[in-house]
Amino acid sequence: MKIKITYPEVAPEKVKHQKLINFIKWPLLSAVIICPILNIVTGGKAWSLVVIMAIYMLWDLVISRDLVEYNRISQFVKLITLTGLLLTIIDIFLVPGWAIEAVSILIFSGLIVTAILFFTDLERQKQNIFPFLFLILLSIFSSIIGLSFYHQEDNWGLAVMGSIALILLIAINFVLKDNIINELKKGFHTM
Amino acid sequence: MEEFNNYINILNEEEQTLLKDFFASFSEHCLLNKEIKQALKTDFEKAILYYHKKGIDLQTALLYLDIKNLGGFYARPPVLWFPLDDAAKIYPLSMAHDRMAIFRLSAYLKNNIVPEILQMALNFSIKRFPTFATTLKKGFFWHYLDTTKRRFSVEEENDVPSQLIKVSVSGSQSFRVKYYKNRISIEFFHVLTDGAGGMEFLKSLTAEYLKLLGTNMSQNNLILDINEEPAKEEYENAFKNVPNSAEASGFVDKMALQMDGKLSKIKPCKIIHFKMNSNDLKRTSKKYQATITSYLLALMFIAGKSATDKLTGEISIQVPVNMRKYYPSKTLRNFSMYCGIRLSIDEITKVENIIGEITKQLNDKASKEEMSKMVTQTKKLTNMLKYVPLSIKAPIAKIVYGFLGDKIFSNTLSNLGVINLPKEIAGEIESMDFILGTAITNRAGCSVVTVNNITTFSISKMTADPTFEEKIYELLKQEKIDVVVEGSALYEN
Repeated sequence: MKIKITYPEVAPEKVKHQKLINFIKWPLLSAVIICPILNIVTGGKAWSLVVIMAIYMLWDLVISRDLVEYNRISQFVKLITLTGLLLTIIDIFLVPGWAIEAVSILIFSGLIVTAILFFTDLERQKQNIFPFLFLILLSIFSSIIGLSFYHQEDNWGLAVMGSIALILLIAINFVLKDNIINELKKGFHTM
Repeated sequence: MEEFNNYINILNEEEQTLLKDFFASFSEHCLLNKEIKQALKTDFEKAILYYHKKGIDLQTALLYLDIKNLGGFYARPPVLWFPLDDAAKIYPLSMAHDRMAIFRLSAYLKNNIVPEILQMALNFSIKRFPTFATTLKKGFFWHYLDTTKRRFSVEEENDVPSQLIKVSVSGSQSFRVKYYKNRISIEFFHVLTDGAGGMEFLKSLTAEYLKLLGTNMSQNNLILDINEEPAKEEYENAFKNVPNSAEASGFVDKMALQMDGKLSKIKPCKIIHFKMNSNDLKRTSKKYQATITSYLLALMFIAGKSATDKLTGEISIQVPVNMRKYYPSKTLRNFSMYCGIRLSIDEITKVENIIGEITKQLNDKASKEEMSKMVTQTKKLTNMLKYVPLSIKAPIAKIVYGFLGDKIFSNTLSNLGVINLPKEIAGEIESMDFILGTAITNRAGCSVVTVNNITTFSISKMTADPTFEEKIYELLKQEKIDVVVEGSALYEN
């Protein structure tokens, strides 16, 4: 069977990233299985949860990067959210008593950095606003819940976090000219 | 552009004024950022230069490139967004760094492609297809398509067909327009559309391209007019119009036999097109009292058997079914389901021995009732998962798809049928082809399209073993069908 070649001669590119993923996934998966077993056998605090969370962060942020919506806003918001979650887990399972202050500082700092990333490239980043809005709403919600039930001295971070989030929400509403509802509709649609 | 400035200098005063007014009108129609505006302006300049080199006077060139063809697309900010249709939801969930549901449609013209004019044809056509002028975004529960206003570009083909499209970047497009010699190809991420919807885009783009090169086209309803307002029904998730059936069934089946050839690292590793006279194929199918699809399926079963050394098991071929034939719809989005035609490897002997069973299975499994059951199942599934956050759904879908993937099928045969074109366009087109994207374990994916009485049967290969295509060729030759074999060389690292 003689084939008349009608396609250009090309040197195909190797899909290197998937190879890296395939190579790394097995040691990480082994760690995810072995650590809880070791933790149960040796007893003590649930340190394996921290390890699993850290591995998940490494996997999600570095190794198996997002195939949809991989931009500076989404990645930074993800980093902040996952780090907050990691700190909360450390507080609950290893060293208690500091996470509310630390996580709220982390989030309000994160909100400020995300705002800089957003407003310095407004035209392009308008399309990537949903993760930012999500972090803002999460911050306002957490701040209200936290301030309602947590009345210790170190709750100042929650108040700052909520205030910054609210200011940013107003600023974004101003920039998007009332399109914020539409962005939320898109982001939270269930159709 | 220096060449264009030199060109302006040779124009007389009247022509210079004409050109100035033309670009003033362009500025009114293009309110995008400076970078995009400049790129679009350069497209116009290149096209004007092309016409000049072809000896076409400026006035005629500007008539061809009439600014009204831009419509309001580049003058208005993006507003529309589209939830994914029920069939499309799985594609972004199941894709991986080396896997993406892509298909490709091509039109072969009688002359080599002029890139400058193809780019202008795309610039003008895209507004007619709002669901294609989108970028894939991630919501909290589901992905969606968000309108993106940009210059969608054409590129010269210099890569393996149907490679991954990078959809992660801000405003990235989910389709690719390529050209090579006399061929225009569009590669689509399945999230946008199915073969039928994609073909409408290819037809409109090709018609606009030919129009810009001077082909006169009479009014017709075979090609969407790019300056017509898109109908709302073209955006719809047509699965919603399919009434729920009492039963729901569909996705689970036994594992199928795979061809034995080693899976290639480059996917697809080879493309093969068998171009045949449609009448020959029809005559042969009639001889077996079957349709062309049944006949080609029979050849695929026999060729599939010869490409494996296994002695037991079943070969199963996936056949996509266009739901528009049961539920007429204008939608340009996905509106297809599929069925699986299965034969035990022992049963597969000669065409005449298996074609009856294939036809029977095809009639039963691709019936309106069975397809409705599958749509009902799909709707049930998406309904069940609608409040599960995407961050939970996505990894689970990826794992499940990774395990099951395409293992319940050995191969696919997608037949787009006969493409009807207005005679002015048909006269400029030699043939068309349709290529399926890569599979995970299937060693081949087959597709068919007929235009101008030429049926192109394409095989997208995932193994270097040539047994499958050689057997099909041999079987076609046995029936005295004239076959022109075209394709790619073997892609290797």
